[in-house]
Amino acid sequence: MRLKYFAPAAAIVALTLLPSLASADFGQSPMLAAEVADGKLPPVDQRLPQPPRVIETGPGAYGGDLRIAMARSRDTRLMTVYGYARLVGYDSGYNLVPDILESFETVDDKVFTFKLRRGHKWSDGHPFTTEDFRYWWEDMANNPDLSPLGPPILLKVDGEVPNVEILDEHTIRFSWSKPNPFFLPALAGPRPPFIYRPAHYLKQFHKSYAAPEELATRIKKRRMRGWGPLHNSQDNLYDMDNPALPTLQPWFNTIRPPAQQFVFVRNPYFHRVDAAGNQLPYIDRVLMNISDGKLIPAKASAGEIDLQARNLFMSHFTFLKQSEKKEGFRTLLWDTSLGARIALYPNLHIADPGWRAIFRNRDFRHALSLAVDREEINEVIYFGLAQPANNTVLPQSPLFREEFQTKWAGFDLDRANALLDGIGLEKRDKDGVRLLPDGRRLEIVVETAGEETEQTDVLELIHDSWLDIGVKIFTRPSQREVFRNRVFAGETMMGVWFGVNNGIVTANMSPEEFVPTRQDQYQWPKWGQYFQTEGQAGDAIDMPAAQELFDLFRRWQSATSDAARTEIWERILQINADETFTIGVVCCTKQPVVVMNALRNVPDDAIYAWDPGAHFGIYLPDTFYFERP
Amino acid sequence: MFRYIVHRLLLMIPTLLAVSAIVFVIIQLPPGDYLETLIAEMASRGEAVDQNQIEALRRAYGLDKSPVEQYFSWLFGLLQGDFGWSFEHNRPVSELIGQRILLTFVVTFSTIAFIWIVSFVIGTYVATRQYSVSDHVATLIGYLGLATPNFLLALVLMYFANQWFDTSIGGIMDDKYRNAPWTLDKMLSVLEHLWIPVIVIGTSGTAGMIRRLRANLLDELQKQYVVTGRAKGLAPRKLLWKYPLRMALNPFIADIGSILPEVISGSAVVAVVLNLDITGRMLLDALRAQDMFLAGSFLMFLALLVVIGTLLSDLALAALDPRIRLSGGATR
Amino acid sequence: MSADTPNGGSPGNNEPGNEKPNDPIPHFVSDEPFNADVEVVLTAEQEKYYMASQWKLMWWKLKRHKIAVAAGFFLIFLYLVAAFAEVFAPYELQHRDVRNVYAPPQAVHLFHEGKLVGPFVYGYNARRDPETLQKIYTVDTNKVHRIRFFCSGGYPGSEYEFWGLFKGDFHLFCPESRRAPVFLLGTDRLGRDMLSRIIYGSRISLSIGLIGIVLSFGLGIIIGGVAGFYGGWVDNGVQRLIEVLKSFPRLPLWMALSASLPAKWSPIVIYFGITLILAMLDWPSLARAVRSKLLSLREEDFAIAANLMGASTKRIIGRHLVPSFASHLIASASLAIPEMILGETALSFLGLGLRPPVTSWGVLLNEAQNIQVVVLYPWLMAPMIPVILTILAFNFLGDGLRDAADPYK
Repeated sequence: MRLKYFAPAAAIVALTLLPSLASADFGQSPMLAAEVADGKLPPVDQRLPQPPRVIETGPGAYGGDLRIAMARSRDTRLMTVYGYARLVGYDSGYNLVPDILESFETVDDKVFTFKLRRGHKWSDGHPFTTEDFRYWWEDMANNPDLSPLGPPILLKVDGEVPNVEILDEHTIRFSWSKPNPFFLPALAGPRPPFIYRPAHYLKQFHKSYAAPEELATRIKKRRMRGWGPLHNSQDNLYDMDNPALPTLQPWFNTIRPPAQQFVFVRNPYFHRVDAAGNQLPYIDRVLMNISDGKLIPAKASAGEIDLQARNLFMSHFTFLKQSEKKEGFRTLLWDTSLGARIALYPNLHIADPGWRAIFRNRDFRHALSLAVDREEINEVIYFGLAQPANNTVLPQSPLFREEFQTKWAGFDLDRANALLDGIGLEKRDKDGVRLLPDGRRLEIVVETAGEETEQTDVLELIHDSWLDIGVKIFTRPSQREVFRNRVFAGETMMGVWFGVNNGIVTANMSPEEFVPTRQDQYQWPKWGQYFQTEGQAGDAIDMPAAQELFDLFRRWQSATSDAARTEIWERILQINADETFTIGVVCCTKQPVVVMNALRNVPDDAIYAWDPGAHFGIYLPDTFYFERP
Repeated sequence: MFRYIVHRLLLMIPTLLAVSAIVFVIIQLPPGDYLETLIAEMASRGEAVDQNQIEALRRAYGLDKSPVEQYFSWLFGLLQGDFGWSFEHNRPVSELIGQRILLTFVVTFSTIAFIWIVSFVIGTYVATRQYSVSDHVATLIGYLGLATPNFLLALVLMYFANQWFDTSIGGIMDDKYRNAPWTLDKMLSVLEHLWIPVIVIGTSGTAGMIRRLRANLLDELQKQYVVTGRAKGLAPRKLLWKYPLRMALNPFIADIGSILPEVISGSAVVAVVLNLDITGRMLLDALRAQDMFLAGSFLMFLALLVVIGTLLSDLALAALDPRIRLSGGATR
Repeated sequence: MSADTPNGGSPGNNEPGNEKPNDPIPHFVSDEPFNADVEVVLTAEQEKYYMASQWKLMWWKLKRHKIAVAAGFFLIFLYLVAAFAEVFAPYELQHRDVRNVYAPPQAVHLFHEGKLVGPFVYGYNARRDPETLQKIYTVDTNKVHRIRFFCSGGYPGSEYEFWGLFKGDFHLFCPESRRAPVFLLGTDRLGRDMLSRIIYGSRISLSIGLIGIVLSFGLGIIIGGVAGFYGGWVDNGVQRLIEVLKSFPRLPLWMALSASLPAKWSPIVIYFGITLILAMLDWPSLARAVRSKLLSLREEDFAIAANLMGASTKRIIGRHLVPSFASHLIASASLAIPEMILGETALSFLGLGLRPPVTSWGVLLNEAQNIQVVVLYPWLMAPMIPVILTILAFNFLGDGLRDAADPYK
């Protein structure tokens, strides 16, 4: 054969073979194959980005409807959490990996270069490019009508906004002059800041792009008060409440709320494939039934749910186990990541000066903590399965030290009494209740959000042992919003809530939960608010230990080595253990997870956590499948 | 008759106005408003809210006007069919209510039919056997229905229905029919779920009905014309049916005005327990969240239902009983 | 002739059996002196009957209605229990036995192994099933826990503060000791004795009905009285108002009002707030009854007479009119109280009324409101029984009172 004919012949052969090779590479669900055959969808190789994200799993089986239950119509947002399509995400080992992004590079946590996947498309087929980032950055985050306060705080480092450069259609760069170590973990969170939006869809609601008469009609039709509220109501990528809004998640909502049942259908342009090249997700539809929270355990035990963790508590475990065999599901027990299942928060900002002096005295807090009979509480309320602990990191964390968990957390009434006697509270009245220096009884009103009997039950048990050291408590159940507002205003004495959200931390994760950084840290809401609002509201820190925590936090932000971060973390945890700012009760409770027997690829042992973890998110529900009998 | 109808319709208007005023007052009672809740929520998400934004929102939702102004603007909106905006769900209230109305009707009227049938049968039976054993037993059963807290009964019945009949837990129909079109299967599924709320709510209503029917019927049976009829040799059953029973039917129709509120309020609790798609649950949530337009519109709707029901019953009564028609409705 | 006829009068001439056709018919003539003033001499019994006051008549008629009387006594018993809850309940309200969580009820026996031992219950053996984590209680016939009567002290949970005022520990019946607990209705999730909780709960549930009635009465009588007495446009206005309030479905309105109670109020204040709310929707029917009665009664002779004699309006209403239909009011009250009890139960059940640590039957039922309880721990639904019984009792009593309220019928 003449060589000069070889190249064109080879080219022709290659060209003809390429499409069939390409489509032979990727598989798709029969549901979509039918639509491709009808001409409604392009073939799978044109729907997937190049390269798609390969998940090492499979083979699975296509098909099926996954039934889950939620308590409120708003919980459609959970499908964004469970879907867990993120720019970068955590894998099940809590390492950050690119998901939607093909790759990312960072320089000193100051410069982040993101590379998108070529050919990645939104769920309606429109290309996903850096234009969607640009639209968000210039036309939304920096538009005073849509964001009067400017870009979200997460993107500001000491008030400095990033420098956003669009390098090309698939590459974008964010840079700050100081490190922003929160950026990537936030993007991998259950509720990430969406720094991109479907520009092609949203432009019709934007003043700078839409024709004025059309926009006016739209505003009127939806009875909005302006284009700003209109746009804001339609652009929620998190809430999944707008079926017309394109998304990148594996399933998208097809029913406008409110409804009793939401149907989520597979996204034909989803960017992940399994090891054999089959496009994910395996499951065709997710049916979310909205039901009263109290009925959800009943529904689960009647076999009406395929996968459920939310609204199931340990107190339902026995009940679920009883129906397992009959209805054909299994009840797993996953670990949780809460630093403490339940903790008490003495309000350090309490307005009354007499009380404030006492609460800020750490001997007082130590005494209270020593008088909590954690073993009894564990036995009575948690079936003995939990672990008495302070509100700190969990044993699974590399930063864990036993001292953090047990310091001042034993049950020692004598020592507690001695401590209280030592700080000027020796006087007691005829009932044995101690008296403050000004003669008032040591009576503490403990407020709860009123949502769980578990909290009031624990308080009942604590009430008795604290009475033995001369402290009388009154439980006042409230409602969540009222409770939070009172705490923020410094009107409560003590609040009860869960402990820190994430107890399985590594040194590279932000220590913000142990430092005054947020208003909803019930022990120091005003210091947290001060930080959150950049000094505009709240109080500046006026306690040495808390100030030291804050300084450490700052140092962590600009630390450059793992060793430095670890050392800072350990100091932070040590201070928290020494000061007992919050009184943790137990940790390491389990979360029951109901899984229908036919549903596969759900890990038997896992950690059920909000951030990081997104509940089911990091275990990739798009890889779950129904085994065909 | 026509005059009577007009008269009653005209009377309805001030009643409804008064109802709307009371509803509005009640909705405004809780301290604060939805905005404060919203602000708290935004703050918790780390979105610091500044005063300007709050003011803008307040103006946008009309919460900066005086209560009187708010009331009138709400009222005018109602009359034009604009039920306001639900903050919690972020859409017009009319969209939210509409879906529930049909099912509320179904449940309410099934329950009333149930009450009628049961109390009719039992009431006639015991009236003709006054003071006998069956009289006491039937009265006892009626009272038991009244006395049992219906929400707990609903839970127990639901559990047993699931165990024995495989009825799915909660809801007014099986999950799979929720978004499906109305087929025979779907209707059967609704029926399958319907009997629990109907029985649970209905049993508390039957006691009163039975009592009234029994008392009325007893009164009638003492009257002269019955004695005459019996003396003249009419068969007892025919005697019962032809005259006294028709008279005694009055309370059935006249008392809709009192049964209807009972049924609706009973259904509110049961709806929460059984997770039915009717007004109860949404109303409870709206009240808690201070979603004032939604809650207010629900209450108005319920009150309207009652008022219309009363009107219809009055009209039916007038149609049945010429005395009422001719004397212009003076028997009330 | 002999004067040996019984009344001391003289018989006629003829003895029975000796009559001749034209003889006068035997008759009796009294010897007593003629007394023109007395028309009819009443026997003592008859006198009692005719001179009886309205209340006495009511009572006699009521007595005939046996069930109503029984119901009445039952209610008095209940209120006694509520007043002396600390004595009737074996355990103090907050007492917990953490080793006996979710323990089932214990049956009372008299004979142990054939011998009469006196009232006692058998103890349990408890173990936790490792798979389902359920605590399984099996009756152990070797553990005999005697029940003591009229006892005091000797076990944890026996001390109480009577109405929060003074300490005591006398009980109607108690367990023997700490190791021999007696849980006649089982325990709840924290190991608290259900029977004791129900008894303490009666205090709140029953009193809410009473206080609510008092408030409702006050409103109803005043407003209805004014409307009925003055008539005219006052009457019209009140009637409109009543109609409006009656067209409200009760529970949604209660829900709305309860949701507006600030959560930071203390439980006592919330308690009164709830009673006020319950009373608010109850007074219309009362007012309407009062009004119609007044309208008819004010035309009666005695009312007009009182008016002519110069009595003030207040006196006429208070002294003359109201007592004449007081019986009806009482009958209505006894039918309204159960409404309030049910209302409180429903509100607490929805989480809008009272909440723990306040204990009422509604709160107890709220804690029982889930499927696990129905399946695994059904004894937690026991508070339902006193609710039903109380309401039945009030209804029977009310029926009896209503029948008796019109003694002249």
